[in-house]
Amino acid sequence: MNTIIRPFIVSLLLLASMAASAADVLTVYTVNYPLAFFAQQIGGKHIKVVLPMPPDIDPAFWEPDVMDIAGFQQADLILLNGAGYSKWLKRASLPRRKLVNTSAAFQHDYISVKQTATHRHGPGGDHSHAGTAFTTWLDLNQAIQQARAIMLALEKHRPEQTDNFRQNFTLLETELDDLDKTIRNTVAKDPEKLFLASHPVYQYLARRYNINLKSMMWEPELVPDNSQWIALQQLLGTHDAKWMMWEGEPDEQSAARLQTSGISSLVFNPCANVPDDGDFISVMKNNIMEIDKVFRR
Amino acid sequence: MIDIEALEFHYAHGEFHLTVPRMSVARGEKVAVIGPSGSGKTTLLNLIAGIIRPQQGRVTVADQAVSSFSDAKRRDFRISNIGFVFQDFELLDYLNVLDNILHPYRITGALKLTSQVQQQAIDLANGLGIGDKLKRYSGELSQGEKQRAAICRALLPQPQLILADEATGNLDPRNKGRIIDLLFENIESHGASLLAVTHDHELLPRFDRVIDFLDFRTETAA
Amino acid sequence: MINSLYIAWHYLVFNKLRSATLVACITLIAFLPMALQLVLTESEQMLQSRAASTPLLLGARGSALDLVMKSLYFGDEVPGIVSMQAADEITDTGLGYAIPLYLRFQARNKPIVGTNIDYFDFRKLKLAQGRMLAMLGECVIGASVADEYGLLPGDSIVSSPDTLFDLAGVYALKMNITGVLERSHTADDQAVFVDLNTAWVIEGLGHGHEDLSKTRDSSVILKRTEDNITANAKLFQYTEITEENRDGFHFHGDASIYPLTAVIAIPNDTKAATLLRGRYLENQQYRIVRPTEVIEGLLENLFRIKSVIDSVIAIVGLATVLAIILVFALSVRLRQRELTTIFKLGCSRMTAVKLIAAEIVIILSASSIISAGLLSVVLANAETLVRILIFN
Repeated sequence: MNTIIRPFIVSLLLLASMAASAADVLTVYTVNYPLAFFAQQIGGKHIKVVLPMPPDIDPAFWEPDVMDIAGFQQADLILLNGAGYSKWLKRASLPRRKLVNTSAAFQHDYISVKQTATHRHGPGGDHSHAGTAFTTWLDLNQAIQQARAIMLALEKHRPEQTDNFRQNFTLLETELDDLDKTIRNTVAKDPEKLFLASHPVYQYLARRYNINLKSMMWEPELVPDNSQWIALQQLLGTHDAKWMMWEGEPDEQSAARLQTSGISSLVFNPCANVPDDGDFISVMKNNIMEIDKVFRR
Repeated sequence: MIDIEALEFHYAHGEFHLTVPRMSVARGEKVAVIGPSGSGKTTLLNLIAGIIRPQQGRVTVADQAVSSFSDAKRRDFRISNIGFVFQDFELLDYLNVLDNILHPYRITGALKLTSQVQQQAIDLANGLGIGDKLKRYSGELSQGEKQRAAICRALLPQPQLILADEATGNLDPRNKGRIIDLLFENIESHGASLLAVTHDHELLPRFDRVIDFLDFRTETAA
Repeated sequence: MINSLYIAWHYLVFNKLRSATLVACITLIAFLPMALQLVLTESEQMLQSRAASTPLLLGARGSALDLVMKSLYFGDEVPGIVSMQAADEITDTGLGYAIPLYLRFQARNKPIVGTNIDYFDFRKLKLAQGRMLAMLGECVIGASVADEYGLLPGDSIVSSPDTLFDLAGVYALKMNITGVLERSHTADDQAVFVDLNTAWVIEGLGHGHEDLSKTRDSSVILKRTEDNITANAKLFQYTEITEENRDGFHFHGDASIYPLTAVIAIPNDTKAATLLRGRYLENQQYRIVRPTEVIEGLLENLFRIKSVIDSVIAIVGLATVLAIILVFALSVRLRQRELTTIFKLGCSRMTAVKLIAAEIVIILSASSIISAGLLSVVLANAETLVRILIFN
């Protein structure tokens, strides 16, 4: 009889604990990859992170549909970037109670952006970068603060896992802090170096690390037209940069034409969405390697 | 049927005093009572019916010493054995003719209202020529029809004695004779006696006997 | 007794006017206090349960009663306005969370409740049909709204303009119904729920229009600079938010100063509630109230008024009873001849008493039946009556 009863009871207990565990896992929706990464690092097995937009979309300009909104509504926690990142928020009905503005701690330090013309890139449709700069995580000190906000939000929901979350956060904080120091040390090698940015997404990077940078409105996959080249030449008159920072690998033609103007290209991936390879840390390390090449010269 | 001996009656207030040394009415006899107004004719009927009691003397009806009965016994005796026909008919305007005829059966436990009694009422009404008026109300009837309905009410319990107080007083000459004839017919068929107070001297010859109230002594205040 | 009832019934039917008047008088005297009690009991229950489920309410300084009646029961009161910042401040304290409410507008005489999704969990409202609102311009309606207007998910409802003649006033917005709530027997059954942002679109703080940078009609442009394009009043603003134009909807100005009617504050615990209340004691702009306290005050007043009304009804009732006794006494006098006749015929004086008693029984029975019928109607519609008499 024992050969039947004991395994039966053990199975029952196992099922019960699995059910309990499933019920304990927090569902956390995020609006971009950096937040998803931070949340997963801190929350571990106690959370299930959902980044609902497709990987080829810039999350800042993604528009959810009704099913996506329903998913957000059902989440236990919704991590927002802040700084006007998700323009769709005003057009969607989300439970305020579950919202966490991860950049609330430094909202007074947001960078305002002047009116820019609308433009389109990728499947996201026309958009403008006017308002507030939103790539807050590229200032890795701010990234740490956003991670901290995530930790505190998770602790509120799962206070019994506080020690666990804090431990994980500390590990993440150390990594981000290392990245922060490395970038600063790298830029310190030649602080007067001038840069161009293909797209206005590096404001916080520039401010934190004192990179002298001016932005264009170019796309990596598109060859700039004549007016854009003229605008570049005009800019070079006052900002004689020798490097153009791209979000992704530029079109060969664009890179080649830039080279004729004495401008080399480098890729600094903001990593807003899920990278093809690696994770946030590895992508940042790659970015650092890229700029390190520039600052060594 | 009726025997009165040494009857003395007076009301609690006032000077009226009625004395009837002796009076009788035989079974089946139809007797008229005449006399001046205020002489006590209606009072006599009330004494015979047991509605009031004499201070002295005896009233016997159908061999029952009614004047010595209790109130309840007198009432029960009255409703079962004595039928009343009034000058003003005394029909209830809120009941139809049939319900008026059956009214005594609904106001006392001494009479039981059965379906047989209802049929008897209908037959009686047909006999008095108002069978088609049973659903009507008194306001829709002529004077003669009203008195016929009143007679039906009086006769339905098959009383041994009918007391009529100026039964034709409110009828026109044509109807008076007809009503008296109907009354006499039905009394004779039931074998009842009739004591009728009347002022109508034209009708007196139809009665078996006439009692003149002047033969009795009544005293009233001058 | 049956015979007495028979005779009494015919007497009453024959004297219809008298009988109807008597029945009406007694019915009124019996029905009114009971109906009043019913309505008050129902209102007490409705008011208290709703208030008990709302821990704290923040609003502008002014009438606490107006604030509570408007925010909890969507009455016609017009409390002062607070800003969205007030809701944010409550959340920022960490002492609880806030549910903002904006209740300025109506749609087909039903209150539009601008709030957020948290409201439905808070009030434990469930969907009977359709889905929860998700996008700007969508709404979810209460069960009574759906029943009254025959509305279903997929239909639409238009917000009512503030006034017919206010040309510069708010525009009507056509809202798409995504869901119908289960009946909750609260004020929520009568409401049209929208996201706060949708309410602000109705207010005119947010709007949608064609892209000025791409317009072909230059006559709509008032001024164009490097940084800005200003349109004139000719620019057509969408009166319906659709899938095609939703992305174009935007808001101007600082959202923290956008208007609210009130904020429901749900503190984490009792201590947090006390701390929250303490923070607003000296606040010149806002106040925090406990709805239960406000409603208790209202109910005290209502019951005080009811006592007065009860006294008046008692006095009127006494007068009515005396009048009825007089009517019966006069009736007996009028029927003296009938009573004399039946006495002569051979019934006792008690018969007269039985006949009158039978009439009284019939009249009282008729009054009771009518009162019971009227009371059952009041009971069935108590919620609606309370809404009409107390909230509107």
